[in-house]
Amino acid sequence: MIEFSGVNKWFGALHVLCDIDLAVTRGEVVVVCGPSGSGKSTLIRCVNGLEPYQKGRLMVDGIHVGQEPRRMRELRMEVGFVFQSFNLYPHKTALENVTLAPIHVRGMSRVAAAERGRALLERVGLGDRMGSYPHQLSGGQQQRVAIARALCMQPKVMLFDEPTSALDPEMVKEVLDVIISLAGEGMTMMVVTHEMGFARSVADRVVFMDQGSIIETATPESFFTNPQSERGRDFLGKVLQH
Amino acid sequence: MLGTLNTRVMLEYLPELLQGLQATLLLSVSGFAGAMLIGIIACALTIQPLRWPRAIVIAYVDIIRATPLLAQLYFLYFGLPRIGILIPEFHIGIIALALNSGAYVAEIIRSGILSIQRGQVEAGISTGLSYLQRMRHIVLPQALRPTVSPLIGQAIVLVKDSSLLSLISVVELTRAGQRIANERFMPFEGLVATATAYLAIYFLLKFLAELWSRHNSLPDRA
Repeated sequence: MIEFSGVNKWFGALHVLCDIDLAVTRGEVVVVCGPSGSGKSTLIRCVNGLEPYQKGRLMVDGIHVGQEPRRMRELRMEVGFVFQSFNLYPHKTALENVTLAPIHVRGMSRVAAAERGRALLERVGLGDRMGSYPHQLSGGQQQRVAIARALCMQPKVMLFDEPTSALDPEMVKEVLDVIISLAGEGMTMMVVTHEMGFARSVADRVVFMDQGSIIETATPESFFTNPQSERGRDFLGKVLQH
Repeated sequence: MLGTLNTRVMLEYLPELLQGLQATLLLSVSGFAGAMLIGIIACALTIQPLRWPRAIVIAYVDIIRATPLLAQLYFLYFGLPRIGILIPEFHIGIIALALNSGAYVAEIIRSGILSIQRGQVEAGISTGLSYLQRMRHIVLPQALRPTVSPLIGQAIVLVKDSSLLSLISVVELTRAGQRIANERFMPFEGLVATATAYLAIYFLLKFLAELWSRHNSLPDRA
């Protein structure tokens, strides 16, 4: 479904992605972790073309990302993205946020889009907040609207860029629960997160990055109990301490 | 001072003054409409990715901001006939006002667009919305809201700027006031009459600006 082969990216002189090789198969849940500045976010932002890369090859759902500019919209229709800072449209209600793209990109009728949008908002537990504007919602509620917005396009892949990092601790669970239920349905996902408990319970594989490189890839069980790399041990020692 | 004001002469010139007011209003409305058109196009050209149109607009905005309106006005007034374009002073005046304010309008609208967080645009990109769809549904509805007050401010500036057109013999409010000075040797009466009219226009625009901001600063839009 997603295949990085020798992908490299530079921000000026800074080498942010170094020879990335990674394949994510259909239905797989891959959690990407690592210290800040390790290139995790950049990695998943490449998948839907939010960031260009300079060298190597990245194939997503049969589309060569960056080489087929005309097919990028087609690709983005199939790849949902959830941001750390939610990025809801503040001038639109929760339901309008969710139905905007299905109406204008998928060409759905307003009625059909609203029906699907309502079902998704119900599903993320916001059935009673359809008409609310983002500033009237809590962070956790906003992030759940953002997830519903991405799902409303019926994507084949979902990408999550630190979806709970901007949330107050008591709201983390309500967002993670939604992601866990998606994993249970067989959605293909890449999740950048610092929530190690969540990673352990939901991931099929954990990818550990540092300084732009993938240091190790392992099942959560083996990564969390017996990391193979020095840097992996060091990182786990820091995040699992408390 | 005002006690000695010769109101009889001012009333005598009322028809001329009203005619001048009418001309000033027409110049201002057409000038501002032109400025909005130029400003929106110029702004659109600065935020699109192609380099040449962007460079041209930047040069235009710089030139307008760096030179006095009077110089721009004379440039058109004496310059256009030299390249064979002969149009009435009134129209030259409208063009000058539109070109001048257009540069400021472009900057005002651009600042509104730049105030939209990049993340919202990325959210639009990620769901497959095209550039035009993002502009139409996400960026512009939010960007234009905060520009209304500064745009009314620019309109107020434009109304006052239109007084410079009296220097290329367009008969507008200021010119009408000058007639009282020239024909009756009463410059003060002429000034008071024109100032009163400008003040009236100003308060009208200020009222509109306040009405708009009161209507739009409600804490809860839901």
